[in-house]
Amino acid sequence: MGNYKIKAYYDEAYPPVPDSTTLFWRKFVPWQIIRFFILNFKMIRIVAGGHS
Amino acid sequence: MAKVVVLGAGVAGHTCASFLKKKLGKHHEVVVVSPNSYYQWIPSNIWVGVGQMTIDQVRFKLQKVYDRWGIVFKQARAISIHPEGNAETGRGYVTIEYTDEQYAGQTEIVDYDYLVNATGPKLNFDATEGLGPDKNSLSVCTYSHAAHAWEHLQESIRKMQNGQKQRFLIGTGHAMATCQGAAFEYILNVAYEISKLGLSKMAEITWISNEYELGDFGMAGAFIKRGGYITPTKVFTESLLAEYGVKWIRRAGIYKVEPGVVHYESLNGEMKTQEFDFSMLIPSFTGVGLTAFDKSGADITDKMFLPNKFMKVDANYTAKPFEEWTASDWPTIYQTPMYENIYAAGIAFAPPHPISKPHTSPNGRQIFPTPPRTGMPSGVIGKIVALNIAEQIKGGHKEHHHKASMARMGAACIVSGGFGSFDGLGASMTVFPIVPDWEKYPDWGRDMTYSVGEAGLAGHWLKFILHYLFFHKAKGYPFWYLIPE
Repeated sequence: MGNYKIKAYYDEAYPPVPDSTTLFWRKFVPWQIIRFFILNFKMIRIVAGGHS
Repeated sequence: MAKVVVLGAGVAGHTCASFLKKKLGKHHEVVVVSPNSYYQWIPSNIWVGVGQMTIDQVRFKLQKVYDRWGIVFKQARAISIHPEGNAETGRGYVTIEYTDEQYAGQTEIVDYDYLVNATGPKLNFDATEGLGPDKNSLSVCTYSHAAHAWEHLQESIRKMQNGQKQRFLIGTGHAMATCQGAAFEYILNVAYEISKLGLSKMAEITWISNEYELGDFGMAGAFIKRGGYITPTKVFTESLLAEYGVKWIRRAGIYKVEPGVVHYESLNGEMKTQEFDFSMLIPSFTGVGLTAFDKSGADITDKMFLPNKFMKVDANYTAKPFEEWTASDWPTIYQTPMYENIYAAGIAFAPPHPISKPHTSPNGRQIFPTPPRTGMPSGVIGKIVALNIAEQIKGGHKEHHHKASMARMGAACIVSGGFGSFDGLGASMTVFPIVPDWEKYPDWGRDMTYSVGEAGLAGHWLKFILHYLFFHKAKGYPFWYLIPE
C-alpha cells in the first residue's frame, strides 16, 4: 500500500486552488496597494448606490 | 417638541438615533432603549474568537456617547407597544423593563411621537436541541460568546500541541439559520491560526451548512467576475475552503447537538451525525418577542408581527412560489402598514420571503438559509428611516423622500481569512443588488459592473481600516456622518 492520498473523487478535489503565482500576487505589497485603492473605489460606488 | 423613541442600539438603531439627533438638534427629543450598556461592532467578534482582538476593542459604553450627543439612554428591554395609547391617553407608548444594576426589573412607560423598532434578532438557540454556548456548541454572535469560543479554541490548540488530533465543526446550527458569512469568516480564521502554528496535520476542519450550494450566503448566491470568467460564488467559496484544507457538508439541517456530536438531516432525507471536539454553530434568528396592544387592550401582536416575530412593514407579504418573487416585494421605507408613526429597521423588519430558494426534505424539514440583513443594509435602513422621520417632523408632512430597498441596494462583504499586516488575507465580494432582480438583470440576476470577488492583502487592510472607521463613526468623532454605512 502506498503512503499517499488520491486527490480525486471527493468534494475538495474539484474547486480551483491558487497556484504559486496567484499566491505571490495576493501578498505582493505594491500590487495589493493598487488593488486596495481599486477595491475602495468599487465599494464606495456600491455604497453610494444604496441610498436614493 | 417631538419625541422619537428608538428601540435597540445595534447597527440599525444606533445609526438611526445618531442621524435623528444630528437632524433634529436640541429642539426635539431622541430616546434610545437598549438592554445592553455597550455598543458592539459585531463583524469584529470574529477576531475576538481567534484571540486577535480583546472584547474592549469591539465595544464601547453607550451612555458616554449619548450624553455627548444629548440622546436620552435607557438601559432596558422593550416589552410591549401600545400604538393607540390606552383608555386614558391617545398617545402611543411602549413599556420597558430596566436591565441595569440600579433599576433592574423596574418597568416604565415611554410615550412617543415616532417609534423605531430596531431590536435586532433573538439568538434562538432553543430552536435546536442542545445548541449554544450554555449547552454543547460555541457561538461568535456576541463578544462574550466570541471570547468564550477563543478559550475553547486555545484548549484545542493545546491538545494538538500535545499530539492529540482535534475535529473542528463550524457553520450553521439550524436548518434555517442565516449569517453564513460570519461562520465562514470564523472557519477561515481558525484554519489560518492553526496553519500559522504548524498544526494543520493535527486538525480536521469541517464546514457544515444549510446552503444548497456553498456561497449561497442566504442571498441565493451570486455571480462574480474572476479570472476572465463569470463564476458563481460557489466556486469562489469552495476554492477558499479547499485552499485552507477545509472539508464541507452542505444541505444539512442540524436538529440536535449532543456533547461531541451533531445530528442533522440532509436534504435527501438521510439522518446523519458528525463528531467534533470543537464546534461553532450559528443559531436561527427570530424577532425579540415584542407584543402589541390596541387602545382597548386587545392583543394585536399577530397583526403587527409575522409568526417569526419580525415586524411587518411596507413589503408584499403575499405568499407565492419562488418563481414569482420580484424585487418590488421588498420594502423601501420600513413603515408599518397599520401605524404611520412606527418603523422597523435592520434585522427587526420582516422580509417578505427568503432570498434563497426554499427546499424541503422528504420528511418535511425546510433546509435553506433565511435572508441576511447584516451591517451595511441595517445601517443604510437605519439612516433613511431617521432622515424620513426628521424631515417629517421639521417639515410637517408625511412624505418619504429617502428609500432603500434591499432589491435596490448593493452590499460589500469582506471576509477576513487571517490577521496580519503582510500575511493576512481578505476575501472581498460585492453584489448589486442584494436581492437578485431577474427582471432587470436577466442574465445574472445582478449588475455585473458592480461585481467583485477577489482575495488578497488589500481586502484584509480594508477590513482592518473599516473596523476603526466604523468605531469612529459610531462614537460620533469629528465628521462621523461622512463615513458611509
